Amino acid sequence: MVINLWYVFFLFLAVLILLSALGVVFLKNPVYSALSLLANLCITAVVYLALMGSPFIAMLQIIVYAGAIMVFFLFVLMLMNLKKGEYEDRMAPWRFLFGLGAVVLFVIQVVVLGGEWKGWVKGGTHGVSIGEISHLIFTRYILVFELVSVLIFVAALGAVALAKKKL
Amino acid sequence: MGVGLFQYTVLSVLVFLLGALGLMVRKNTIVMFLCLELMLNGVNILFMALSRHMGNAEGQVIVLFVMAVAAAEAAIGMAVITTFYRNRGGVDVGRAHLMKW
Repeated sequence: MVINLWYVFFLFLAVLILLSALGVVFLKNPVYSALSLLANLCITAVVYLALMGSPFIAMLQIIVYAGAIMVFFLFVLMLMNLKKGEYEDRMAPWRFLFGLGAVVLFVIQVVVLGGEWKGWVKGGTHGVSIGEISHLIFTRYILVFELVSVLIFVAALGAVALAKKKL
Repeated sequence: MGVGLFQYTVLSVLVFLLGALGLMVRKNTIVMFLCLELMLNGVNILFMALSRHMGNAEGQVIVLFVMAVAAAEAAIGMAVITTFYRNRGGVDVGRAHLMKW
């Protein structure tokens, strides 16, 4: 029986994604939940990059989700100090596991991106090129694209208007 | 035995279901928002898998729009939660009982 190496890699990443999703749901401390979601999004970006062959969406996932949205969540979480003294001793073994997972992910990224197995990576995937994506955005979905920009503008204004005490 | 559409579908459904479970189980409003993002992420995985399976880029364009809408939703949600925290003194959903029947 031949075991495909891609399949093993996919299974490993899928298990990590599911474990971090479980962490979002079941960790007691909200900050740990947020960091677990951050790990989930980063591992999903690894799946997009290495298994689906679309580096553009992977980069966007890192920048938009991990860079912008998670900063929102962590900022608001740390703005309101919730339930002090609940997270000293209970989560001690989990911290070790997450550290181990971070080390393993780092090794994977070094191996995948490190150039040594580059042909191996490219041999397994053929993705959609970034040119096709941009062509679709600026021809067929141009109206949606502009509407999304308006939506984000209105959302930013509305967030300021909602969060301000007195306008 | 390769990685096909089936495996990605199972993965995305599991992530989506975990997000829905967290939305129902947790009481902290911010963690509920995190679970909402988890559900969006599961949908994104399915869009990407289908886009790759069918070989066209429309799924990836939609993933782009889902990310933009998630960013807008996070901004509005955090503003609402900040106001809620200021008015109610906490972010527990049990404190939102003004319209409870």
